[in-house]
Amino acid sequence: MEFEPQVIIKIAAYVGGGLCMGIGAVGAAIGEGYTAALANEAVSRNKDLSGDIFKSMLVGQAIAESASIFALVIAILLLFMDIPVPSLLKASALLGAGISMGFGAMGSGVGSGFPGGQACKGISRQPKMTGRLTTNMLIGSAVCQTPAIFALVVALILMFIDFGNVPLNPTWAALLGAGISMGLSAIGSGYGGGMAGGASCEGIARNPETVSSVTTIMLVGQAVTQTPCIFGLLVSFILMFKAFPETTALSPSMALLGAGISMGFGGLGPGIGNGMAAEGAVRWVARNVKHQSELMRTMLVGQAVSQSTAIYAMVISLVLIFVV
Amino acid sequence: MKEMGKLHQLVIHVMGYDIAFNLEVIIMTWMVMAVLIFFGFAASKKRALLPEPVQALGELFVSLLYQLTVDALDEEMAKTYGPLTIALFMFLLLSNWFGIIPHLDEPTKDLNTPLSLGIMGFFIAHYAGIKAKGLGAYLKEYCTPIFFMAPLNVIGELAKVVSISFRLFGNIMGGAIIILVVSYLTYSIFLPPFLYFFFGFFVGTIQAFVFTMLTIVYISVQVK
Repeated sequence: MEFEPQVIIKIAAYVGGGLCMGIGAVGAAIGEGYTAALANEAVSRNKDLSGDIFKSMLVGQAIAESASIFALVIAILLLFMDIPVPSLLKASALLGAGISMGFGAMGSGVGSGFPGGQACKGISRQPKMTGRLTTNMLIGSAVCQTPAIFALVVALILMFIDFGNVPLNPTWAALLGAGISMGLSAIGSGYGGGMAGGASCEGIARNPETVSSVTTIMLVGQAVTQTPCIFGLLVSFILMFKAFPETTALSPSMALLGAGISMGFGGLGPGIGNGMAAEGAVRWVARNVKHQSELMRTMLVGQAVSQSTAIYAMVISLVLIFVV
Repeated sequence: MKEMGKLHQLVIHVMGYDIAFNLEVIIMTWMVMAVLIFFGFAASKKRALLPEPVQALGELFVSLLYQLTVDALDEEMAKTYGPLTIALFMFLLLSNWFGIIPHLDEPTKDLNTPLSLGIMGFFIAHYAGIKAKGLGAYLKEYCTPIFFMAPLNVIGELAKVVSISFRLFGNIMGGAIIILVVSYLTYSIFLPPFLYFFFGFFVGTIQAFVFTMLTIVYISVQVK
């Protein structure tokens, strides 16, 4: 059965768009549900503040939703975009874009729900800190969106950049691998970043005097939590912009695809693990602010050890790209 | 959309190698430095007990960031590394905000700027570590938990440079790409100013702070 390039492009765009929106809708819905659940708990504790809590819940949910709005934008673009020069390469780029954004929205969507929920709970516990809790929720969720933004950038590059005259055979796998690497590795980091953000809102409500220490540790913890998805971004950039020599054999293509899969799955676990470490540090700084520097050190060393598996994955994918 | 990914480069041939300069980035970096130096003069020219607004702003930067350095390191080391922290933060903050002004670009949008700052931080941290612990104890740390983990520990240290510089680069460049694509799709109506505010001011401030904090924190991990 022979397909025209025009047909294959359409197939790739429709499948990519479907994957993108379908998977992208999973995370944000869970995150928003978590926020609403904690908002219910907060209202039952302190029903006089139901107005503030309701407002805070809606703002938190709106931020959690932004990850899946990114996915919606990419899906709509995939469905209605005009491809000037249809080629098989572009088809695989479009599929890669859908995969990148779809999976990329998952972690950040769930993660941004945590700060929102904990902020609602915090308002019922410590009404005077409402303003500060909202600020912290916004910062925490915004940083937690970073993996989704990286995924969005990779998807946009895959869709809009003209890769020109590059050999089809290994490059199609590289573009698909770039999407997989970025999308999957963003899941863990987005989820983990949200855990740290949630713990910071809880901590501020528990002990308002520790605001500045908690925010600092939260930002550092979230930043280190993003490292696996930054490795994913690095691998996908190398896959997209390195020129590969043309081959007729299938094995180089599979090596490039394998590089993307290795980094994608390899970044998933460390992201969540680093998030747990950051959550613990933030939570206990709020309870015991005197031990801030020791806690930060323990968190960083723990995160570094938990990250070593992401480094193994990166080493393997770089070997697959440059050596095999 | 066509100009995406194009750079104005000055290429010089030296001894068989091509050395490329990204002219726009260099000019933007010089402009940021010029603004900062001017700000420094303006803030410290008429020093008074009741500060003028510019002096108050300068004092705010110095006191807040110095305190952060003291918290992460200690009183003694903050005297050495405090100025680094303050200068790094102010440079990054202004760099990240620079793209809001039309026709100007963020120097941090080009990987060269964050990467060189990251490598600088890496060398400073390791120098501080060797100075504080001695070379023997410093090298011994690489052989934990067992000696044959040393290559992976070295890769782990190098990965820190990658992650710190790509975090800044990815956020700023990502913001710029998103603004470009959204402006193109909406014909620059309504949405782009909000995006400029979010990616320029909000994300730019957070990432400048994160980069600075991580640089100090890496020093403190090496030292203790």
